[in-house]
Amino acid sequence: MENTINIGIDLGTTNSAIAKFVKGDVIVFNNPLDYGRSTLPSVVYYKKDRIVVGNKAKEYLERDPNNVVGLFKRKMGTSESFQIKSINESKTPVDLSAQVLKELKTFVNTGDTLESIVITIPASFDSIQSNATKEAGKQAGFKQVVLLQEPIAASLAYANMKKSKELTDGNWLVYDLGGGTFDVALVRIKDGEMKVVDHEGDNFLGGSDFDRLIVEKLIIPKICEQYTFEDLENQMKSATGKYNAKYYSLLNQAEEAKIRLSAVSSAEIIVERMKDEEGNEVDMEITITKSEFNDLIKDSIDGTIDMIKTILTRNSLTSNDVQFNLMVGGSTFIPFVRQRVEEVLQIPANCEIDPTTAVAIGAAYYAATKPKEISKDKSDKKQYSISIKASYNKASKETDELFAARIKGNIEGLFYKIVRQDGGFDSALKKLSERINEDLPLVENTYNFFTLTVYDGQNNVIETGIEPIGINSGFGISGQPLPEDICLEVDDYDNPGQTRLALIFERNSVLPTKRTLTFPINKPILKGNESDRLWINVYEGPQTSLPEANKLIGVIEITGKQVSRDIAKGSDLEIAIMISESRDVTVSGYLNMSDQEFKNVFNPKVRDTNITLLKGQVTDLSSKLDEEIELATEKEDYETAGALSKVKKEMEAVADEAESLTDDDVTDKRYQLEDKKRKIAQKIDSATKNKRLQKAIDYYYETKAECEELIEDSGNDHERKTFNDIVSQESAFMATKNPLKIQEKSDEFHSIMGQIRWRTPDFLKGMFGRLLNDQSKMNDQSQAKSLTDAGNFAIESQNWDRLREINFGLLDLLPRGSKEDITTKIGFGL
Amino acid sequence: MLEPNFKQYKPYFQLLDQLFEIERKLKNIEESNSISRNLNKMKVIFETNLFSSSISSEIGFTYHNPIGESYNETRLDLEASISGNSTENLFIKEVIKPIIRYKSGGSTLIARKGVVVVESKN
Repeated sequence: MENTINIGIDLGTTNSAIAKFVKGDVIVFNNPLDYGRSTLPSVVYYKKDRIVVGNKAKEYLERDPNNVVGLFKRKMGTSESFQIKSINESKTPVDLSAQVLKELKTFVNTGDTLESIVITIPASFDSIQSNATKEAGKQAGFKQVVLLQEPIAASLAYANMKKSKELTDGNWLVYDLGGGTFDVALVRIKDGEMKVVDHEGDNFLGGSDFDRLIVEKLIIPKICEQYTFEDLENQMKSATGKYNAKYYSLLNQAEEAKIRLSAVSSAEIIVERMKDEEGNEVDMEITITKSEFNDLIKDSIDGTIDMIKTILTRNSLTSNDVQFNLMVGGSTFIPFVRQRVEEVLQIPANCEIDPTTAVAIGAAYYAATKPKEISKDKSDKKQYSISIKASYNKASKETDELFAARIKGNIEGLFYKIVRQDGGFDSALKKLSERINEDLPLVENTYNFFTLTVYDGQNNVIETGIEPIGINSGFGISGQPLPEDICLEVDDYDNPGQTRLALIFERNSVLPTKRTLTFPINKPILKGNESDRLWINVYEGPQTSLPEANKLIGVIEITGKQVSRDIAKGSDLEIAIMISESRDVTVSGYLNMSDQEFKNVFNPKVRDTNITLLKGQVTDLSSKLDEEIELATEKEDYETAGALSKVKKEMEAVADEAESLTDDDVTDKRYQLEDKKRKIAQKIDSATKNKRLQKAIDYYYETKAECEELIEDSGNDHERKTFNDIVSQESAFMATKNPLKIQEKSDEFHSIMGQIRWRTPDFLKGMFGRLLNDQSKMNDQSQAKSLTDAGNFAIESQNWDRLREINFGLLDLLPRGSKEDITTKIGFGL
Repeated sequence: MLEPNFKQYKPYFQLLDQLFEIERKLKNIEESNSISRNLNKMKVIFETNLFSSSISSEIGFTYHNPIGESYNETRLDLEASISGNSTENLFIKEVIKPIIRYKSGGSTLIARKGVVVVESKN
């Protein structure tokens, strides 16, 4: 167990945060219900059956003041309390602060038992206010509460960041401008002791005031210049006003513009979707410049500067006596704030720490120096033995689903919370009762997981052993799984002359399902030319099989006769495949260039066999068979060769029959042939499967060794990580015995190697040399000449980045055909 | 569960916001060209192609327009401003930014909350 407290909380007026000291560093915990943010708005919302703390409570703050309380820190230590209408009770600032502290406990995901804590307080807090904060900590379940002044915490965060540099004796200011409050403190360090000497503040100044100013002083006047409105400002700001909703939308845009203006010189705000008094649609883009914004907030900032001047005068100091002004609080991100304060006071603004989390970080550093003073009394721990019996539909087509549970055991003083694991729903803290009911909102067409957690009165988790609640939404009830993989036949660019299967829907995918894929076509389709064809062949059966071995369940043939214009090589073919619950397959191909769609629905009970395709496949299969026999004989694999030779006889018979089949044959013969063909292909497939698998495995290990060596020599951390990630999955993808999956991993190694090689001088020089040999084939000779000259110069001056660009340029000049020979049987490929 | 950090994807979210805007504007335009096809294509690229390493894996982002849906404090997929006087029976009146979800196979995560203005139905 750790002997020091280690955890610190910034219990702020508007926002709070929690951080932990871990091995010399501090981590700020993220808000688990608000991704990307580490702060929690200090706002509490009481509903009849639940308590909501944080962002959601803040949303209701202005609209439901009888039940939502914020800014209660200002009332700490007073006898004032807040009457809450929904629960008909009054809550003190201590109660409310305790709620925020309890909520912060849920941020800690390191498994710590939180009994000791450092909590920060403003420099202005007197002993009554400080004691009230301690009391809030106790109420939240902390047994030991140590207080720390906010300016000291910020200073500690800074001092610890500057690890090498000790803070020298002297004075500095901590300038804390947050979302809604401003505080400034004069901090003095003498003989290693840091203390707050003086402070000032304004409880009603912060970033949200600046957003309001942007809307009221810049946007509204600009709208009124162009459109007709009577008293637009009031219509926006009044809760009953016509444009009240628009006001919030503009405030939101104003906040974003404010943030953007910290980086760029102007920002746009778009006003639309509203009509003026004369019925004209408002549609305008308002540009706000940095200087307009600076003018707007200048008075407020000057007000803060006056406070600093007061402090300096009161302490008989001049600007020269102050080392720096430490900037804390989100609004000090605004460059004008930093500049203006520095310019007027002539005290350097210090912006080296993260202004939003500095106080929490400093508190954690302080906590790391404070020993825990709690005697571990095990008998003190309450033993809860509750059991939960849950009942709910595991699949649903509704937008929400009722969850019900019966709780047995001692539920006195316990609470619960249900959250959706994607982060989109939180029931908030509710009192646990013998029966609980909750409507759980579902995200459509996905598996929704919820967790139910039980807490005691101080937000410590009570173990219950309840499983996550899983509800399948949308397709759950009648959806049946696919019995086989569904694949699309594509040209195999790695094996010219061959085709392969690309997996579209994996076996056991739940129906209905849909996918759209786009391929550039690899040959032109000339209008009117019947021999130019594209094939969209959809197969059912294992992805690892040869295409011919699987069952063709949908086919679309697009010929030059059907297209409305010439379709160029390289233009896009968009393929959409949809399978309904009753397994009807809808296939469509859309040619981008001619804006034409070819669509067909295939019923699983009615077979559709295309004779041209069948004949082609039979011919292909024959030659493939011959090749395989030859290969097996060469390798002295007589077992395989023998098996294949048997198939050869059947193959010949099928080929003869296919040859005699006319395109308009109306008998069942085509179906019989299709079946025979498939059986033959399956035989070839199983006879050669091991060969393909072994080939893929050998190739994988070969590529892996090569890649490893290259990374060792010249790889970077990222490449090493990508490599290790692939290797760590090795046993899993090898176990699939799927040559394609294994091949995919070899390809990934190749792409790592490509990245590395294109940085290494030797490779770049070699590549350049090879390109020089091909120079005569290049499309634009004069450009090729100037690029090769530049390349020679780049080698001389060892400018490898430049040589890389030149190589790319030269590669582009090579005619397409000479880059690689590809197969164009299907018309597109992988 | 994987700890999401979607900060690096911000420029993609900005692109998705633009697609959302175009889609919204398109609803008011009668057009014979298939602009919506191109738009849907772009959405599919975000959903299945852009971040997937192979054809058989589908990882990506989708957006959802929650306009008209009901709203209360349990909805963590939205950041709402409440307009009007009442906080009962809230519904989504205006969508400033759509909800962006991260999809990986069958499961989803909220990658970026939607930003909306809500109002009471009463």
